[in-house]
Amino acid sequence: MTLDALVRMANQIAANQVHLPPDEAASRVADHVRLFWTPGMRQELVDHADAGADDLDPVVTEALEQVRTTIPAP
Amino acid sequence: MTTIVYVPRDSAARSVGADEVAVALTAEAARRGDDIRIVRNGSRGLLWLEPLVEVDVDGTRVAYGPVAADDVAGLLDAGLLRGGEHALRLGPTDELAWLSRQDRVTFARVGIIDPLDLVDYESHGGLVGLRVAVALPPQDVVTAVADSGLRGRGGAGFPAGRKWQTVLDAPGTTKYVCCNADEGDSGTFADRMLMEGDPFTLLEGMAIAGLATGATRGYIYLRSEYPDACDILRSAIEIGRAAGWLGPSVLGSGRAFDVEVRVGAGSYICGEETAMLDSLEGKRGMVRAKPPLPALEGLFGKPTVVNNVLTLGSVPAVLADGAESYAARGMGRSRGTQVFQLAGNIRQGGVVETAFGITLRELVEDFGGGTVTGRPVRAVQVGGPLGAYLAPSQLDLPMDYEAFAAEGAMVGHGGVVVHDDSADMAGLARFAMEFCAEESCGKCTPCRVGSVRGVEVIDKITAGVDRRANLVLLQDLCELMTEGSLCAMGGLTPGPVRSALAHFPEDFGLTPEEVAQ
Amino acid sequence: MTLLHDPDLGTPAKPGESSVNVVVDGVEVTVPAGTSVMRAAALAGVDVPKLCATDSLDAFGSCRLCLVEVDGRPGTPASCTTPVAPGMSVATQSPKLQKLRRGVMELYLSDHPHEESGCRPNGGCELHDLADSVGLTDVRYGFSGANHQTSTTDASNPYFAFDPTTCIVCSRCVRACDEIQGTLALTVEGRGFESVISAGGLPFMESECVSCGACVQACPTTALQEKTFIEFGMPDRTVKTTCAYCGVGCSFNAELRGDEVVRMVPSKEGGANEGHSCVKGRFAWGYATHRDRVTTPMVRDSFRDEWREVSWEEAIGFTVDRLRAIQSESGPDSIGGITSSRCTNEEVFVVQKMVRAAFGNNNVDTCARVCHSPTGYGLKQTFGTSAGTQDFASVDQSDVMIVIGANPTDGHPVFASRMKRRLREGAQLIVVDPRRIDLVRTPHVEAAHHLQLLPGTNVAVVNAIAHVVVTEGLVDRDFVAERCEADSFAQWEAFIARPENSPEATEAASGVPAAELRAAARLYATAGNAAIYYGLGVTEHSQGSTMVMGMANLAMATGNIGRDGVGVNPLRGQNNVQGSCDMGSFPHEFSGYRHVSDNAVRELFETVWGTALESEPGLRIPNMFDASLAGIFRGLFIQGEDIAQSDPNTKHVVAALSALDLLVVQDLFLNETAKYAHVFLPGTSFLEKDGTFTNAERRINRVRPVMDPVHGKHEWQVACEIATAMGYPMDYDDASQIMDEIAQVTPTFAGVSFDHLDKVGSIQWPCNDAAPEGTPIMHVDGFVRGKGHFVETPYVPTDERANRKFPLILTTGRILSQYNVGAQTRRTANVEWHEEDVLEIHPHDAEELGVADGTWVALASRVGETQMRAQITDRVPQGVVYTTFHHPESGANIVTTEYSDWATNCPEYKVTAVRVRPASVSDPKGSAEPVDVTT
Repeated sequence: MTLDALVRMANQIAANQVHLPPDEAASRVADHVRLFWTPGMRQELVDHADAGADDLDPVVTEALEQVRTTIPAP
Repeated sequence: MTTIVYVPRDSAARSVGADEVAVALTAEAARRGDDIRIVRNGSRGLLWLEPLVEVDVDGTRVAYGPVAADDVAGLLDAGLLRGGEHALRLGPTDELAWLSRQDRVTFARVGIIDPLDLVDYESHGGLVGLRVAVALPPQDVVTAVADSGLRGRGGAGFPAGRKWQTVLDAPGTTKYVCCNADEGDSGTFADRMLMEGDPFTLLEGMAIAGLATGATRGYIYLRSEYPDACDILRSAIEIGRAAGWLGPSVLGSGRAFDVEVRVGAGSYICGEETAMLDSLEGKRGMVRAKPPLPALEGLFGKPTVVNNVLTLGSVPAVLADGAESYAARGMGRSRGTQVFQLAGNIRQGGVVETAFGITLRELVEDFGGGTVTGRPVRAVQVGGPLGAYLAPSQLDLPMDYEAFAAEGAMVGHGGVVVHDDSADMAGLARFAMEFCAEESCGKCTPCRVGSVRGVEVIDKITAGVDRRANLVLLQDLCELMTEGSLCAMGGLTPGPVRSALAHFPEDFGLTPEEVAQ
Repeated sequence: MTLLHDPDLGTPAKPGESSVNVVVDGVEVTVPAGTSVMRAAALAGVDVPKLCATDSLDAFGSCRLCLVEVDGRPGTPASCTTPVAPGMSVATQSPKLQKLRRGVMELYLSDHPHEESGCRPNGGCELHDLADSVGLTDVRYGFSGANHQTSTTDASNPYFAFDPTTCIVCSRCVRACDEIQGTLALTVEGRGFESVISAGGLPFMESECVSCGACVQACPTTALQEKTFIEFGMPDRTVKTTCAYCGVGCSFNAELRGDEVVRMVPSKEGGANEGHSCVKGRFAWGYATHRDRVTTPMVRDSFRDEWREVSWEEAIGFTVDRLRAIQSESGPDSIGGITSSRCTNEEVFVVQKMVRAAFGNNNVDTCARVCHSPTGYGLKQTFGTSAGTQDFASVDQSDVMIVIGANPTDGHPVFASRMKRRLREGAQLIVVDPRRIDLVRTPHVEAAHHLQLLPGTNVAVVNAIAHVVVTEGLVDRDFVAERCEADSFAQWEAFIARPENSPEATEAASGVPAAELRAAARLYATAGNAAIYYGLGVTEHSQGSTMVMGMANLAMATGNIGRDGVGVNPLRGQNNVQGSCDMGSFPHEFSGYRHVSDNAVRELFETVWGTALESEPGLRIPNMFDASLAGIFRGLFIQGEDIAQSDPNTKHVVAALSALDLLVVQDLFLNETAKYAHVFLPGTSFLEKDGTFTNAERRINRVRPVMDPVHGKHEWQVACEIATAMGYPMDYDDASQIMDEIAQVTPTFAGVSFDHLDKVGSIQWPCNDAAPEGTPIMHVDGFVRGKGHFVETPYVPTDERANRKFPLILTTGRILSQYNVGAQTRRTANVEWHEEDVLEIHPHDAEELGVADGTWVALASRVGETQMRAQITDRVPQGVVYTTFHHPESGANIVTTEYSDWATNCPEYKVTAVRVRPASVSDPKGSAEPVDVTT
């Protein structure tokens, strides 16, 4: 997968929750990603965050903590 | 002391030199030091005497005519300004038999006042009707018009009050008054003379119609051949607005009514009321099927009063003098007066306003003085180019919608066109078809195609081609056009044809017996 | 004049409340007040002769054949223009009437080609049929009189000819152009006998005519006739089917002579079109038999190799071997498929089933991804179902309509005609569009407000409209209280009332004057029935889904949902966008918009399909491209979509396609995408398909084959064979069995079957026990999700901005005569109207850039550059340029970017920062050959 695309998509989803408090926004982002992203895409972004990414919206970073639990074991 | 001299501005008078007479009078009087004021009035309606010059002599108007510019010096020499004798002197205008025998209601002020002088207008009874109407509830105004018996003067003779009632009763806040001034019938000119000679009367009548029906906007659909009327009407509208009896608050009533002149483009059919509405809307003038009635779905689909100039021009008198006064005139169901126009081969052509009931003979012989050629009258066509031809034997017919209809003829717009015994009646019958072919809107088949075939069939008959079969075909065609046409244009075209065939079969090379079969 | 004589009642229905009893020729009949005598007679079973009357046009009263006699009334009134009156007794036959009718016919025939000289009886001329029926034998006038028999035919239009010699000047064509199409291109010129039908004094092709065919349809003689009819002669059979162009979904009768299509005649019984058509559906069907059609399967090892024609068996074997090899190397998720909105529901259903059941993953997406995926998302969030709320007829009851980001007169012409008709009746119009589309000002139609916003600022505008509604007390409190969630409304209300959403605050971003926006908002909220119609100008943005929800919020807040005349209505671009979405083409949803993670739903499918299914969403199209470039997605089956031309950022798409190990393309033609394919499988045109399309109003229409597949296989058969070869047996006897399976697994389709459709004509889903005849209007008593859900819609501007390097904003659209990537329309005479894509540019920008009208310009964005001719016009505002994407030569998508909707990844086609300069002589003109990224 192209990582920049995943980062851009995730940050954009977060940007569109700008009207919400951060924790609620993170939940929305997590829900969205769970409903519409493949497990592989989710895993790739989680790995990216785990590797200390500095290009993720803090809301995304927070969301990924919830996303992490939705990825089925391979 | 200034002497008032009247020189008509009516375009019929102008066409025979009225302007030149006025110029000559001004110049000649100035040269002589005579103190005159020229008033350009409307025409008195004695067209064979135009330019008819009048001089106000101590309150009495003395007529001279027909006056040419060359006559002016001689007239002044003869004491024109004091009513002096001259070969052209006709005497006090009011005493001219031609006028004194008339009963002028609609035309009461035409030729008498300065058409654009509002003071003159009011001093001759103008605006009285509108003042009455403003003070009455709309229903009472409509009732007055209904009670007067006034019928549409455009030709169809539909009761004006009933039409107004329909518009008054129609729901909606946007309604219109449309004045049909597309006076296209041959031998008619009364609309023009009223508009040129007394435009305020028409505007007052339209304003009354507006107040009576709730319409706030009026349009005058004027034929393009009447440029003088157009100028005069537009000036009159400005004057009416400035005086406050047209515009947002008619005579301070808080009720709005304003008028606009729209000029046609030379189409006869646009005098048909629904084609006129199409044309006013900016469309090609095509006849609309009725229903819906224009009174309910007229201009721009809104309830609309559509009346002729003479109808609306009669309304102020109805309101001013009362419905009874108007209704007291006339015969049968034809109440009030009609403004007849004498034209064609006639010695004394012009306008004769008189109560319904006068006979055709009185009009043609007494007023008209017979043919200008001096030959016997052979046929008289009443009601425009599609009116039936009447034979000399029918001259005692009274002018009355129903009496004429019973003879297959029509009063129409009151035009009377006389032909002498040299007339080719087959040619005139052919002309009716040709006219229809030329002027048809092209919508319905009997009119669009039938009129062309009518010309061709008449040509075959007169050329002697298969005469009897073609006569049957022509009669079938006449029946089809009469029964099957969408509007009166195609429906009436057979009138002149059938009457010519009936009264003058020999002109077609036919015998009365052949035609009767 | 058509082969199938649809019953014609002569004049339109009058929706009168009171009814009137009349007697026609002794038969008593009850009709609504205002009905014409002619229609009443027809309803009583009495056929009154007529030529100028037809029930799709207002009565005109010109031919005078329909004269009747009415008891107690004088004369012979025309029955078409005479309304019934209570107790009226009408005679339609009498010796007198017979004579009059013969007289009229005699006049007509005196200026009409005689039978010997060309006007064929039974050749489509009602005149001759009627002459017989009124008993006319002899034309006594002869034929030597004045006539129009030497007039010349106007054959300038590529599809139909006007022959004045057989014209009877009944004005049906003129009235059809006025009343049905609303273009007002035709008129009658001259008067009296000289009256002739005229396209404004010009040849048809040079006139305002949009070639919709309404005049041809209306003509009772052979004066206006299809050239194919003249060429092939009278058809001998008819097949009812559905147009395969836009999402209006017009019903047509295909008229054939043998196996040759003679013409496509719009069906009066068509629920969507009611007898109307446009230039595409009516005439541009010749592509189906175009010589470019590929009718033999082909394979090649590399896309750089030459194609090899092979048998179906070999092509399918080649495909399956490669798919299996890829999966064994890279795992089950390394392959996928894309369904097409151009194909039938049945074909789409089978392909997504093939992916889910035979490929064993959810890597299926549809081309709706790039057009209306935000509609699916947004309307599901707010209303609970991914579809428009109304039927087309609803617009007849609208008092005000907002058209946002749609150009109906070009994109959805048949529905646009219906809108224009309502607008001419007095409904008001608000247009929200950067470009001055035709609807803003067209004959007898003028928008009350044109909010000419900058591309990309839709959400700012819809929020500002909602702000006015909320802050000026225009909310329909009763509706909201009864029908919507109190909590989400309260949150939304507080959000939308914030000052940053006011018209004054958003004006700077959107460019829409606050006062005008306020006036438009008040009009929408207070004019009565208010309807929103929108197109891709809403969805194809970074905020596409937000905008859809913004419109849904607005409609709910003003109570404009759940009845005639209101609603939120997507105008679907392709014939089966709605259907392809309904059929479970999205990677996260089964048919009927149910998430793959829903265990109950998945178990239902697993039971019916007899296999285990994946519970996690698969890849969307853009994800597929990215995954392909990353080497983890290697095999793709594409059903009838030319993504290399239609998807944004061509360079990126081509790179992704080139990187695949197996690309299978099923299509009619070797399209741009096929350049990178390894397998080409011939598809079927709509004339060969057997199935259903679902239009923008959820109307399921039958598509019936007028001929067998030219290569012997239906598309669904091909998918079944691939699935079977993959080890998952799929088989159906015919397409109706597929629909039966759809109905079995999809609650909203439960009552749909081919038998039912054949019986009732068409059905709008949901169709089930609760609504056995379907559902024209949704959310009538309650929302599908229960209570309406308000969603806060912050305006988040796109990152794609004009800057010094790329100072202009490019937006894209389509044109009437061409369709989408042009694969069909470019293979018809429609190219005569639009032979190339052009770049619309404002005069000021053109002057500043030194661009002259009609000259070549280079158009560049940060991702690519192309060339096309400039057209200088003030339709576009300063700073905005516009083009269409119908021609691969100009390749508009070379410059569009990878940006997309935040929720659905629908590409942001509508906003691209670009630079325009005059093209230099050395620039290759119009060479937009996709860049080969491997070099």
